[in-house]
Amino acid sequence: MITPTLHSSPGPATEAGKRFWIKNKDGFPNLLPQIFYQLCLGLSLLTTVAIAEDAPFRPEAGKFPPLEKAHTYRGELIFVDHANRRGSIRVQGSGMFFRNDPHPFAMLPYGIVRYHGAPADLRDIPLGTVMHVHAFLPPDPKTSSVPVLPIDSGKQDANHNRGAGIFPAENHVLLLEDEPSHCQRLGLTWKLKEVQIKSHAGMIIATRQPKKGDDAKATEEPMTFDAATRIWRGRECLSVEELIAEGAWPAEGKKGLNGQSVLLGITWKPTADGIFTRFHISDIWLNETATQRAALNQTETHKAFIRSRWMAAWIDAVEYGKFGRATITATLFGGMDPSLYADFTKGSPALMNPVADTLKHTHGAYGPAHMASKGPIQDVIKLPGEAPLGSSGIQIRFETDLIIEGIRPTRIVRVRPASWPQAQVPREEYLSDSLEERFPSPTIFPKY
Amino acid sequence: MSHPTLQHSTNPSLRWITVLCLGLLLFAASARAEENVFRPEAGRFPPLEKAHAYRGELVFVDHANRRGSLRIESKGIFRFTSPSPFAMLPYGIVRHHGAPADLRDIPLGALLHVRAYLPPDPKTSAVPVLPVNNRTKTNHGGLGTAPAENHALLLEDEPSHCLREGLTWKLQEVEIKNHEGTITATREPKQGGNSKASEETLTFDAATCVWRGREHLRIEHLITEGIWPAEGKKALNGQSVLLGLTWKPTPGGVFTRFHVSDIWLDDEAMQNAAHHQIETHKAFVRTRWLPAWIDAVEYGKFGRATITATLFGGMDASLYADFKPGTAALMNGVENTLKHTEGGTAGPTQMAARGKLLDVIKTPGNVPLGSSGIQIRFETDLITEGMRPTRIVKIRPTSWPDLHLPREEYIGQGSIDERFPTPDIFPNY
Repeated sequence: MITPTLHSSPGPATEAGKRFWIKNKDGFPNLLPQIFYQLCLGLSLLTTVAIAEDAPFRPEAGKFPPLEKAHTYRGELIFVDHANRRGSIRVQGSGMFFRNDPHPFAMLPYGIVRYHGAPADLRDIPLGTVMHVHAFLPPDPKTSSVPVLPIDSGKQDANHNRGAGIFPAENHVLLLEDEPSHCQRLGLTWKLKEVQIKSHAGMIIATRQPKKGDDAKATEEPMTFDAATRIWRGRECLSVEELIAEGAWPAEGKKGLNGQSVLLGITWKPTADGIFTRFHISDIWLNETATQRAALNQTETHKAFIRSRWMAAWIDAVEYGKFGRATITATLFGGMDPSLYADFTKGSPALMNPVADTLKHTHGAYGPAHMASKGPIQDVIKLPGEAPLGSSGIQIRFETDLIIEGIRPTRIVRVRPASWPQAQVPREEYLSDSLEERFPSPTIFPKY
Repeated sequence: MSHPTLQHSTNPSLRWITVLCLGLLLFAASARAEENVFRPEAGRFPPLEKAHAYRGELVFVDHANRRGSLRIESKGIFRFTSPSPFAMLPYGIVRHHGAPADLRDIPLGALLHVRAYLPPDPKTSAVPVLPVNNRTKTNHGGLGTAPAENHALLLEDEPSHCLREGLTWKLQEVEIKNHEGTITATREPKQGGNSKASEETLTFDAATCVWRGREHLRIEHLITEGIWPAEGKKALNGQSVLLGLTWKPTPGGVFTRFHVSDIWLDDEAMQNAAHHQIETHKAFVRTRWLPAWIDAVEYGKFGRATITATLFGGMDASLYADFKPGTAALMNGVENTLKHTEGGTAGPTQMAARGKLLDVIKTPGNVPLGSSGIQIRFETDLITEGMRPTRIVKIRPTSWPDLHLPREEYIGQGSIDERFPTPDIFPNY
């Protein structure tokens, strides 16, 4: 027999359940309604947990996710599969950096890569570069091109002294940027405090802080450099040895650098002395001219890349006409050089093709122009307000006399103004028959 | 009575015997052909002249496993060609900007010259094993775009290739508009011209880097200085330069045309590039140890042994100079991919055989590519498994730093199935 007194410290559920107690004909309480009630409560709690589980933010098709909802981390680029816009990063955690397994990531279709303060493709980033990441959970776990992890993976202790945060489930990237790009976007600079040197290698102590004004709270970070570190000054590319020859740095010993303001390229190399995590300086840009030159070079590389691969966008709306005719409204993705957007002008002819979420063309060996929807750009609209990251803030209205499959609202397309060259993309950058066309193929994992 | 000429086809048993004999003959011939093909043998550096030579664009890199994929040049349409996987031999040499390199140093897209062989042991190949005659096959009009010779002894970029062979690019003419265009050039011996050198048309664009002394210029600077025109054609009178080559999609239905990523205008500029790459590679080898193979082991008592090993070649001379008689050193067994297998997360030093270098011997005669021509004799009081003749090891003089390697560069739990990325990167939808 269960009586309320047996519940030494009745909780709210028990208290509420009492109201449903009905005594049977023998005077014993009938437990069925209570069990029913508790079952309902349990189900309700389960639902709440499930809702909580669903609550984490995922990007939605057709909406650019707000940057502030992204999970941020940084790590070393270890592996690149540029044709599928994915790779692996060794994520910085609280533990021993060298022990961290490379962590797969995928770029969102509108995800932006920046290198040397300019737009880039994954293929432009040297392996080993330390990247800053803003990422989200997979928008649709079923179609993720990288392993889908439990939502709380980023909080789990990875053990073996690796610490927490090295396997975040947020592995779909909106923004991937190297150190100089990160500093330039946020108005930061590295202030060099001291150099310690021997045999053209050693340590620099520096703080990363706002370019304008001083930040007394900025913490000093020691970083290594070596004889392979490049120093960029104006149009010159110097070595550490040349700084020594000029007397700017000593050949041996320490020297104060008085907060000299520079930009740094940062990588990682194995670290002596049991240090958990210490980064390495691959490049130092001593002045604005040098920084601008690096950015310009990368901008030109990326412009040529986009002109040959077409500009990515998504479809906002389709108004169907007769006999295959349609007017398509699309938002161009962001982060590119303005000169590329300037080629989208009212009245100019263009081509549009649906592509995979990896931005791979899908129309086979004849080249993307062969099957593309063709027609004039009817309008180029600057969207009001500040464009969210991922968007260019530019919408086009494109009319075609033969709309092809795949050009539907929220789907990803690529667009080429006819003034761009009609070039054919290489084999690994298009799908011909199936998603299973992979380069390399799974045969790179032989069973011995 | 059957006519003799008909007997052949009308006597079934005789016909079957003939077919069987013919089949056996063909099988034997093909088996002999398979026996006759050259494969590198464990413990011997293969002669360069037996290598299959080709060139292609670097499309994929798995640096931790010393392998990747190349789109190989043929007479067919270059862009149709699927990337073909390759693996570096343990003693295989990578060169970038005229200096030793690791695969991670080569930018994707770089055009590389390859000297490669059939897999030494197909059972343990890290990349797909193809039929021996695959290079005679045609795919999408391209002959030899997936050769079975996919184990590389030498992988070098264009300037490294030219420097090794004493070649130079002579620029004949530039045609330019909006900071991009084509260059006509011939690759020929640096000393003395080559009237037979055929002209090659290469593209360039506003991102092409021009190196002059310590200066990093762009095409627009050459125009500003009046060296190149802003628009139109200009003869360049055979100006001698070195070129970095890549590939980019080509308009105009051209089957194969390469792209100039870099132009080194003078020796100083090329030396600066080589210097940077040498220093990068020196730091790399000092942290990953120098590879070698075991020539002989003389076993002593209680685990003591004296090991003779040949250091692999192609590194900067200063690295070999650190191997001196009497210096202390450490030695570890490694994978054919040069991955450390001992010590796991504790680092390669922990389980290494320790001892000292008894002798450093310069081997007589010509040094084959892959070898340094330097043999060491190393004595240890505790030899570890894996140090057996023909097996691959890595060695660190104790003057080099004691460091821990990143996770993807060692095998932790003794299984070669520890892979980064894992096969999960190929999901089934």
